[in-house]
Amino acid sequence: MAKKLKGDSFFLSANDLKTGSVVYYNGDDWSEKVDKAKKINRSEIEEYENIAKKFEDECIIISPLFVELNDDGTIKKLRDIIRKNGTTF
Amino acid sequence: MYQYSDKDKQIVKNRTREFLSQVKRRIDGNLTEEEFKPLRLMNGLYLQLHAYMLRVAIPYGELSHIQLNKLAEISEKYDKGYGHFTTRQNIQFNWPKLEDVPKILNELADVEMHAIQTSGNCIRNISCDHLAGINNEEVEDPRPWCEIIRKWSTFHPEFSYLPRKFKIAVIASEKDRAAMKVHDIGLKLIKKRNETGFEVYVGGGQGRSPFIAKKINNFVKKRDLLNYLEAILSIYNEMGRRDNIYKARIKILINELGEEKLKSLIESKFKKFADKNLLLEEDEIKKIKNYFKLPINNPIKSSIPVKKNKEYNIWLNQNVIKHKLAGYSIIMVSLKHYNQPPGDATAEQMKKLSIIAKQYSHGEIRVTHEQNLVLPHIKNSDLFSVWNKLSALKLATPNIGLITDTICCPGMDYCALATARSIPISQKISQHFKDQSIQDKIGNIKIKISGCINACGHHHVGNIGILGLDRNGEESYQISLGGSADEKTSIGKIVGPSFSEKELIKAIQTIIETFEKNKKNNEDFLSVFNRVGIDPFKKDLYDKSNP
Repeated sequence: MAKKLKGDSFFLSANDLKTGSVVYYNGDDWSEKVDKAKKINRSEIEEYENIAKKFEDECIIISPLFVELNDDGTIKKLRDIIRKNGTTF
Repeated sequence: MYQYSDKDKQIVKNRTREFLSQVKRRIDGNLTEEEFKPLRLMNGLYLQLHAYMLRVAIPYGELSHIQLNKLAEISEKYDKGYGHFTTRQNIQFNWPKLEDVPKILNELADVEMHAIQTSGNCIRNISCDHLAGINNEEVEDPRPWCEIIRKWSTFHPEFSYLPRKFKIAVIASEKDRAAMKVHDIGLKLIKKRNETGFEVYVGGGQGRSPFIAKKINNFVKKRDLLNYLEAILSIYNEMGRRDNIYKARIKILINELGEEKLKSLIESKFKKFADKNLLLEEDEIKKIKNYFKLPINNPIKSSIPVKKNKEYNIWLNQNVIKHKLAGYSIIMVSLKHYNQPPGDATAEQMKKLSIIAKQYSHGEIRVTHEQNLVLPHIKNSDLFSVWNKLSALKLATPNIGLITDTICCPGMDYCALATARSIPISQKISQHFKDQSIQDKIGNIKIKISGCINACGHHHVGNIGILGLDRNGEESYQISLGGSADEKTSIGKIVGPSFSEKELIKAIQTIIETFEKNKKNNEDFLSVFNRVGIDPFKKDLYDKSNP
């Protein structure tokens, strides 16, 4: 999950198992609201990988991933921006 | 059209029940994602960027008005009110919820549809010429053969876990409208000394290693078809690579072994199978053929309405084809309206088109591999009425075969594998070349756009192929020229370094200008490219001294 990560801060995201919707981890739970997403530092990656695994095992989410952030806290990659905002056309 | 037997209905219903149980077990935590993934893929269910995606088979691209109406209902009830027709004559729903998918499959089963084998390493939906049975050029109707192959390949116990996915296309005329030579197996019905049989092509495909299929048999008798296919698949199943996903397709096997070696292995296997289980008897073939009789029997006297309406006349010229029976026409329904993603149809469009098909086209609709639809049997005298109705639905864009009739994969707007977006590129091209007189002047041209090297948008075989790449986090587009998916199949040549999204339309415009200045008489783009080669295009695109 964290193999090719660059950058220093991230959101933890996934798809909701039942609906497939894009969700973000807010520190307790998963929500479609990105503004509630918890900012994670590089040093915390392993801890949050374990958290993601726990929710996967509980059949809450699938396909967890870390979303790279810019210094100002905005999402860096186009793919992740599309996941957040929806289609671009 | 083919009608399900009671056995077919039972098989599909059983599968739906089975999947319902699998979904329940997954949600309840009795199946892990690792265990569930191959099961959902066998039922056409993917996980994309924002949601699940369900791919539904439209065998050989043929739909009844009832089925099209059901697809519309499903898109409204369980999705976001539209569906996406693909290059392999399937339809995809982009937003279903996992827990709704068994309900969708159940509703599909009610109209004799399913999502079985639309994904996974098995024999996929059999594709076909969208003008099968209604054009004058073919040896015979290829659809019954697609159905025979479909029956054989569905749930084939030996071929459910092949090294990789396996795609088969069948055509029956010199003109290839099904991209037959970029399939794992391409079958072409031919006549030889008063007997009809099959030319067999093997090893075509796109993706990161594009290959044109090689002819491995000049004539397989009809009765032997399934035994011959069984021989090919058995060899592939035994010898295809399973250690490397990128080298697992039969195209790699044929290129590693060599054409002659693979051919001889298939022939020896075929000798063992011949005259055994899968021999097709004449009455069996006849039984299937009976399902595909034309709903109209005789030519009629029916003339095309003459109207002083410019738009109608442009449409007649561009989107209407002669039917094999006098008095009838074939309408190509464009799914490339200038503001719509290529291949998308809204629920309203599908619903109303199903009514038009029922009223005017004997209830039939076809899907083309170029992501358009077809109304196959329209009385000439009805053409003006149908045009009016299609126009109101934005389904009469007169651009079939023109520069705005692009093939395009979903790209990064939906697909988890994509490295760049493709739909917005297609829309920009549409907007840029929207003017009808410009499109007419350019003439026949195929632009095909893929959002990654997997080539779902067929960029390798586009006259102009566009491949979206990720260059250090930026979208970048590589252009290839001279590809073709028709009877003279060719793989395009990469023209040079890629272009940014902003530079791309200017580059396409330059390519069109180079074509126009080299064009003689009525030559189309591909003829010009084949005559002058890639150099003039390179020069105009990259030579900085060129103003």
